[in-house]
Amino acid sequence: MLFLLDFSDFLLNGFLTTLQVTLVGVGLGIILGILAALGDIYGGKIVKIIVNVYVEFFRGSPLIAQLFLIYFTLPVLTGLKLDVITVGYLTLALNSGAYQKGYLKGAMEAVFKDQFLAALSLGLPLRKILMYVVVPQSLRIVIPAWSNELASMAKSTTALIVIGVREFLNTGVSITAQTFKPLETYLFITIVYFIWIYSMLKILDIIYNRVKIPGLEPVI
Amino acid sequence: MNVLECKNLVKVYGKVVAVKNVSLGIGRGETKVIFGPSGSGKSTLLRCLGLLEKPTSGNIYFNNVDVYATKQDLNKLRAKIGFVFQEPSLFRHLTALRNVMLGLKHVLGYSEEESRSKAMEALRLVKMEDWANYYPAQLSGGQQQRVGIARAIAMDPEIILFDEPTAALDVELKWEVISVMKDLADRGITMLIATHELRFAKEVADEMIFMDQGEIIEIGDAEQFFTSPTTERARRFMAKLLG
Repeated sequence: MLFLLDFSDFLLNGFLTTLQVTLVGVGLGIILGILAALGDIYGGKIVKIIVNVYVEFFRGSPLIAQLFLIYFTLPVLTGLKLDVITVGYLTLALNSGAYQKGYLKGAMEAVFKDQFLAALSLGLPLRKILMYVVVPQSLRIVIPAWSNELASMAKSTTALIVIGVREFLNTGVSITAQTFKPLETYLFITIVYFIWIYSMLKILDIIYNRVKIPGLEPVI
Repeated sequence: MNVLECKNLVKVYGKVVAVKNVSLGIGRGETKVIFGPSGSGKSTLLRCLGLLEKPTSGNIYFNNVDVYATKQDLNKLRAKIGFVFQEPSLFRHLTALRNVMLGLKHVLGYSEEESRSKAMEALRLVKMEDWANYYPAQLSGGQQQRVGIARAIAMDPEIILFDEPTAALDVELKWEVISVMKDLADRGITMLIATHELRFAKEVADEMIFMDQGEIIEIGDAEQFFTSPTTERARRFMAKLLG
């Protein structure tokens, strides 16, 4: 496996790309998920329809198809020239946001009806109720669900290979093409994925236990 | 002068008429008790008076100003009307102290220190100062309810509405909440209380209001209800409650 040392910079760059795409995808997905969940709970009829069309579409179609769709149609529709990595960020964020909306909505709805009324009775405007009561609790409750989402997103980034993003798996494909050593290369790559994802989950576990509040157990 | 008053208040949910044409006023310093079978519209009436639900028709006056007709800022008025719910609806991610501080800080605009000292004062009033740093889930139902009362009191409201605050509590936890409410009545705080605790009502109520099926059936003092209710429905209900 020592031959891989010759490719260390190449591999590192690939890994960093994967890391970046995962974190940006999940990160933007959180924001989209919060907005979509709030829209679905507190929004008007039209907002609800838009949210649900978005969510069902991205949950109900393959990620690779979504990548192609955005890669080929968005530049035509907007006239913008998008590089592949931007398409990657965008697609993963939209995909992740659709799933996260479900977790967050569940967390927001299950516990907060009575507290919402209590906050209202204090005279808090909606914006402050969301900021100080609804969102802080939903974020805590949703952490375990995020572990799943992060792991799943980390693995989904390999799909970016189809639009030619030089992510970690793609570096393996290139190395194999040059060295004809698929066994060692893919073994190495798979193990790195495993170690990375496993430690991310552990870290989230620690964070969850840190911010955990008695009586605020996950509802999902 | 009435602090809070409603005239011909009606609230309809779909096809169900929850409150039918109720008129009622609470004067400054008064304690009034609403009672009646469950489903009689007490909660809905209180929520309308607390400006948490908009009545289908009728008027609500706060200090003689028609709230909806003159398009008042509801949040400003809600801050002046305390509300204690049947379920202790504390914010579960905040300690008892932080629960009480939230409105002081983010509605009334007090500084962190001012909010903290005012909140501690309110917690002392309900004898919960030793539990200030506990989370709701670490408190008993009665203790949570007392924090809920402190949260309402701390805002220095002109009136507090209580929606069956002891109904969800075990018998042995009821007394601590009741004794806090008695204390508030003694201090001359204006209150409208929905409750089934008739002995407590007898002690504190300036006036008792019997509701059934969304209507006020009878209004009178406690003595009248205990000895000779004038309506048949009130008589039957009193008999049931007093066993």
